[in-house]
Amino acid sequence: MTDKSNDPIAVWQKMVGEMEKGFNSFANQAMSSPEFSQAVNRAGGVAAGAQKQLGELMEKYLVSMNLPSRDQVTGLAERLQSIEGQIGEIKSMLSQMAASSGISQGPDTALRPPRTKRPPSEGGEQA
Amino acid sequence: MNAPAGLDFAGIPERIQSEVQRAIQRSIKGVEYFSTSGPMLGSTPKDVLHSRGTMSLYHYRPMSDEIYRIPILIVMATTNRGYILDLVPGQSFIEFLLKRGYDVYMLDWSAPRPEEKSLRMEDYVLDFIPDCIRRVQQDSGEQDVSVIGYCFGGVLSLLYGSIHRDGPMKNLICFTTPIDFREMKLFSNFSDRRYFDVDRLVDSVGNVPPEMILSSFEMLRPASRTVSQIQLWENIWNDEFVKSYRMLDRWATDTLPLAGEYFRTITKDLMWDNKLFNDTMSVGGRAAKLEDIKVPFLHAVAEHDHIVPYEAAKHLIAKIGSEDKEEVMLKGGHVSLVAGANAVKRLWPKLDSWLGKRST
Repeated sequence: MTDKSNDPIAVWQKMVGEMEKGFNSFANQAMSSPEFSQAVNRAGGVAAGAQKQLGELMEKYLVSMNLPSRDQVTGLAERLQSIEGQIGEIKSMLSQMAASSGISQGPDTALRPPRTKRPPSEGGEQA
Repeated sequence: MNAPAGLDFAGIPERIQSEVQRAIQRSIKGVEYFSTSGPMLGSTPKDVLHSRGTMSLYHYRPMSDEIYRIPILIVMATTNRGYILDLVPGQSFIEFLLKRGYDVYMLDWSAPRPEEKSLRMEDYVLDFIPDCIRRVQQDSGEQDVSVIGYCFGGVLSLLYGSIHRDGPMKNLICFTTPIDFREMKLFSNFSDRRYFDVDRLVDSVGNVPPEMILSSFEMLRPASRTVSQIQLWENIWNDEFVKSYRMLDRWATDTLPLAGEYFRTITKDLMWDNKLFNDTMSVGGRAAKLEDIKVPFLHAVAEHDHIVPYEAAKHLIAKIGSEDKEEVMLKGGHVSLVAGANAVKRLWPKLDSWLGKRST
């Protein structure tokens, strides 16, 4: 077996690992400063502001092209979501009614294994 | 001239030969890498029990002839996809649980839609989780449910458990769950209230974009992405290494956006005011104190977790009100604790031995 301390490839890999640790540690120190937070958030704020302005401009453009605005599409999506929710509720109610009247809810339920398992130490079973 | 101390010149020809072979393999495998997709993830058979907007509830099909009485609901972190717990056969936590006889459900998230920017913490803790618990009860026919929360899914599970004191949660397991947000030093600095205008951000963008979440994770270890790519090139001849790299890299970059209002609450209540740690947290006007959680509790933390450092998680065990509680620290990082080759040997068997006897 090759001695890793004599192996140039292993030395290189170790060096890369050490450089990674060193750089991460150095960067973490730098990023812990309030100045870093201030700089990053200033840049982020500018980007978010620009994004908002662009969004507003796009909305005006869509209106002029007689296309639905974002608010209208969002409104439609909200209505769809509400319909989805109501379908979910109806499904759930139907399942409850089916369960209470003893109607089988498909092959999956019938095929489920019994809930009788005991942990290995109690039953002496090895998984 | 003498040879530099420590260098084994006799072994050099053999080493060169091995490196030449690897270089050839790298070229072949490198082409393969770019011309194929990675392994298929999250393929354990499951049924979608319910889906509503950003929320999906899955039921995994049992793989055992006999199952424990109490089903498990896994609550995934809202920033990432649940398939980290179901990578590939043999490295899937879900598959492990199913083979050990558990009945497994997962509350997983998809990207919130633009109109879901108004989802609040209340929606997650007082609506989504209780809704899923009800559906698990209904589907399984059991009243009791064990809950497993990963990372921020753990925070949501803690909030749920502390508000719903009378059940039906029977056991609670948290993986790498922070409660002292002051100790998440870099996140805390990024969101310094003097410079970070969360209202402006949320009002401008609606949902917080995934790129922003991903870059804040990557900034915790800024050199690691470059180094991992160097390591990939060095090991591209090694199929196992490449498979593992592709699985974890795909998951890590598959970050989800966060609903705007929810992010605003996380920033103000948790990052700024540290309310969960200070016992002043409330959700929808209902107090959420960790001391009110009385069910059997297990907290698994990772020794080298750079996302949730131990300092941010260590007080959880003391603050939980349960008498039956345990913290276990395992080798590994934030992700390798729950997924990958190390988790197979460490966390999963520990969880099985703890939960099995509490699942009957």
